[in-house]
Amino acid sequence: MMKVHARVFRFDPEEDEKPHYQNYVVEVNEGARVLHVLQAIHDEIDPTLAFRYCCGAGQCGSCAVRINGEPGLACMEEARDGMTVEPLDLPIKKDLVVDLQPFLATLPRICPRGEPEVPDREKVELLKPLRSCIECVCCVSVCPAMDVASFDGPTAMRQELRLALDPRDKGGDRVREAVSHGLFTCTSCQACWKVCPKDIEIPGKAIEKLRALANREGLTLPRHQEVARLVRETGRSIVRTGPTFLEDAPEVIEPDGPVKATVGFFVGCMYNGRLPQTARDAMEVLKRNGIRVIIPREQVCCGSPLIRTGQVDFLDTLKKRNIDAFVFRKIDTVLTMCAGCGSTLKNDYRTPFRVMDINEVLTKFGIEPPARLPVKATYHDPCHLLRGQGIRDQPRELITQVVELVEMPSICCGSGGGVRSGMPEVAAALAENRRKEIEKTGAEIVVSSCPFCEFHISEHTDRPVRNVTSILLEGYREKDRKKAKGTVSS
Amino acid sequence: MYVYDAPYNKMRSAEVMDCHVLVIGSGGAGVRAAIEASGYGKTILLSKTLAGKGGCTPMAEGGYNAVLREQDSCEIHYGDTMKGGSYLNDPELVRILVAEAPERMEDLLRWGAVFDVTDCCEVAQRPFGGQSFPRTCYAGDRTGHEMMVTLIERLASTDVKVISEVTVLDLVVESGRVVGALGLDGKGNIVAVRADATVLATGGGTQIYDISTNSSSGTGDGFAIGYRAGAELIDMEMVQFHPTGAVYPYDARGRLITEAVRGEGGVLKNALGERFMEKYDPVKKELSTRDVVSRAIATEILEGRGTAHGGVYLDVTHLPRQQIEERLPVMLEQFLKFGVDIREEPMEVAPTAHHIMGGLRISPHGETTLPGLYACGEVTGGVHGANRLGGNALADTQVFGKRAGESAGRAPRRDVRIGEKAIEAQEERLSLFLGGEVPPSTVVRSLRTAMWEGAGIFRTARDLEKTLGVIAHLSSLPLLARTRENLGECCTVQNMLLTATLVVRGALLRKESRGAHTRRDVVQAWDAQTSPYGHTYQSLTRSGIETVVRE
Repeated sequence: MMKVHARVFRFDPEEDEKPHYQNYVVEVNEGARVLHVLQAIHDEIDPTLAFRYCCGAGQCGSCAVRINGEPGLACMEEARDGMTVEPLDLPIKKDLVVDLQPFLATLPRICPRGEPEVPDREKVELLKPLRSCIECVCCVSVCPAMDVASFDGPTAMRQELRLALDPRDKGGDRVREAVSHGLFTCTSCQACWKVCPKDIEIPGKAIEKLRALANREGLTLPRHQEVARLVRETGRSIVRTGPTFLEDAPEVIEPDGPVKATVGFFVGCMYNGRLPQTARDAMEVLKRNGIRVIIPREQVCCGSPLIRTGQVDFLDTLKKRNIDAFVFRKIDTVLTMCAGCGSTLKNDYRTPFRVMDINEVLTKFGIEPPARLPVKATYHDPCHLLRGQGIRDQPRELITQVVELVEMPSICCGSGGGVRSGMPEVAAALAENRRKEIEKTGAEIVVSSCPFCEFHISEHTDRPVRNVTSILLEGYREKDRKKAKGTVSS
Repeated sequence: MYVYDAPYNKMRSAEVMDCHVLVIGSGGAGVRAAIEASGYGKTILLSKTLAGKGGCTPMAEGGYNAVLREQDSCEIHYGDTMKGGSYLNDPELVRILVAEAPERMEDLLRWGAVFDVTDCCEVAQRPFGGQSFPRTCYAGDRTGHEMMVTLIERLASTDVKVISEVTVLDLVVESGRVVGALGLDGKGNIVAVRADATVLATGGGTQIYDISTNSSSGTGDGFAIGYRAGAELIDMEMVQFHPTGAVYPYDARGRLITEAVRGEGGVLKNALGERFMEKYDPVKKELSTRDVVSRAIATEILEGRGTAHGGVYLDVTHLPRQQIEERLPVMLEQFLKFGVDIREEPMEVAPTAHHIMGGLRISPHGETTLPGLYACGEVTGGVHGANRLGGNALADTQVFGKRAGESAGRAPRRDVRIGEKAIEAQEERLSLFLGGEVPPSTVVRSLRTAMWEGAGIFRTARDLEKTLGVIAHLSSLPLLARTRENLGECCTVQNMLLTATLVVRGALLRKESRGAHTRRDVVQAWDAQTSPYGHTYQSLTRSGIETVVRE
């Protein structure tokens, strides 16, 4: 047996003015799940605690709650001492019981033709992963777009694709329906996928597939078509407005000291065209830390803006050009500093080389300690870094070496998935939510590690938004200044 | 004069709803019945859980038996089912099951179900225990879930009024006829539904055992409700112990490990590494019927050849990884959650209470012995005899769900009201709980242990009598509901106690070993086919065992 302390959300809308938390201590068996802690509380301490469950085996989706803030099934998640258990972010009936039915009632349902036909095997293989949804609504609880836009949500989109793919459905144009129900408001932040107990990759396997079907029907948003045209014509997803990083960059940057590693640098459209100075800052930091950087000029857009918006017909050309550019130089490690490009190269490409984000490279090979700056900073997790690449600790490890870090919740800033270009008002509303969280931290600057996030957030907050490597560089410069001063004075 | 006590006074007057057909239960059978009944008139479906999420159908993993191929036939499926059921099955019900299972499968396909298919675009089938032909259709290892999603989608397109999270208290009987039911909503208010015809589809009840695969709603409510209303139940002693339940962690013990694991080629081994099924059934080995495999595993464990966790090994590590990932994704996912990668190491398993073959006696049209009451699915008896074949339960829900829904739909309209008396009687029953003393969870814990120890796989009259005594004692305890919201829990516990009583009484009535029912204290000179006994039966007015006159 083990002792578990749990902090549980309590609220009876009929009796209480506002929710409160109650602390409980119960004895449960080794390996007990969150559900067993709730049952122990109910059976032994407080029978008024309300929670919902049924199958106890992860198959019915009745028992989803938030455990330490993360949605999950109470019957499957292991109980941890000191955990906080709260309801999903949905209308509360009582305590941990939320009202699922209004949401479930809005899910699109099949209108069958009425023939007992069987889809072919290829279709079945596409449909199966979409069918494993247990409608636990964890994804709805975390979807940022649903908070600010008219969007039916991740699992509704999953269902729309299921219907669009099923030859037995005669419910009309499901793709058009999905578009009108907010298909283009999804920022591909992947929060839905990461909390899904059935691991359904809704952004990649449903949203992007629906957007590709929408593309075939000519429903792609005009701004997205514009981006696709640009990529096709220039190899880049943004218009050249000034000298780019690649135009000025040397073919190879040798480090100051001994070579710890050699990487090929995949710069990405944003750092190349919009934020070249940030990329140059990063090169300085790499140079100082023994990383030799090779920069192939012929690299092009990674294709992410096309994949996210369902315009995939030109993709293979881009992939080939990029892979060739690095393979030609016999590069075995490609470094990305754009979270979007990194995620795309890692997840949408099959590369003969390893892809590493700059935060991974710097923490793996270690950095010279910078001087500390007297600044309080908060860090914005880029979705495509945190969820797309599973990189959470590395940027924090770097940041805390140079400034004081105040954490804030990891929420999407609104710039991804083509939302910033296609649905600017949705992107702005999401950024506003981000701004509020930034404000709460009292930080003087915002640090991030993605050009889209940096660019977008800087338009919606009065705090400076800096790249991880830029503040590292500042720390180095401060160190050099101090050193120089010290030399002069001595 | 009767003086209302304080909590009694706080009760709000019951809301009475009216319909043509009332369906109680939202698993595969209930929803199928409601879909069918909705074609005949206003239908209400009462669910103890969120409709579509309750019952055991969404948890059913392995599959649905239907004759779909030229090489197979209904005659063979009939023979397998009768043999698997130790010939205690009602032959007419089995004939219907095997004949209509393919048609009901077509309904599901018509409504959008996504079953696995072969390269030739036929519904794929795999072998299950006790089959002469691999006839189990499947959707990976989430077949029941696939069916449930399909049924709920279909239900949404009908006019059926679904009322979720209402616990049914009892049926209302007026002049010997069921005229509806009373229930409790989440707040503890009484809900009354008047109906021309009522369908019980509440599923099974192996939650009365310490180790069980059932969802939290498998508490035997329908057996108890039907019995109290006066319906006759048969073969309640026939409890199927699924051979392969999880053994650890402690709170996950009993969790179902699908027969599909063995269907896909998984082998059973004892702690010595012996493939012991070769000893118990040299021909079918792991794919013998569930009663045989369960007894074999229990024997291995009892005789000291079990694992440290008290189970035996179920091994699929010799299968291609891709096969495990594609055909058994839920198993893989669940075990990974508990720290075991079944592609790399064997599972540990032991028998777990799974299915009650007995239940309300029904006619081929789903009529119970009580006028106005119909039943379908696990709450009924007769279809599966003394042991159910894997894959026959999902088929049962659809075949008899449709039949019961249709019969109820065809029932004539009646001009009867639910009398105040029935409501008052329930109010009185409930008010006692508010002044009770013993928490329901305490009673449940004792009941489960007693049933596992005294009415499990191996039984004797002495143990059964002792268990009956424990149940009687537990039934006499004054259950406590701390608030009105806890009233439903007390009613559920009473249902569990009554179900357990019926199981044990049935087990005492049947003085033979047959199918899932093993009496260690009986020496018999007959096998299943020559047994002098038929069904055991129990109702408010009579109980006994039928004898069969053989030529």
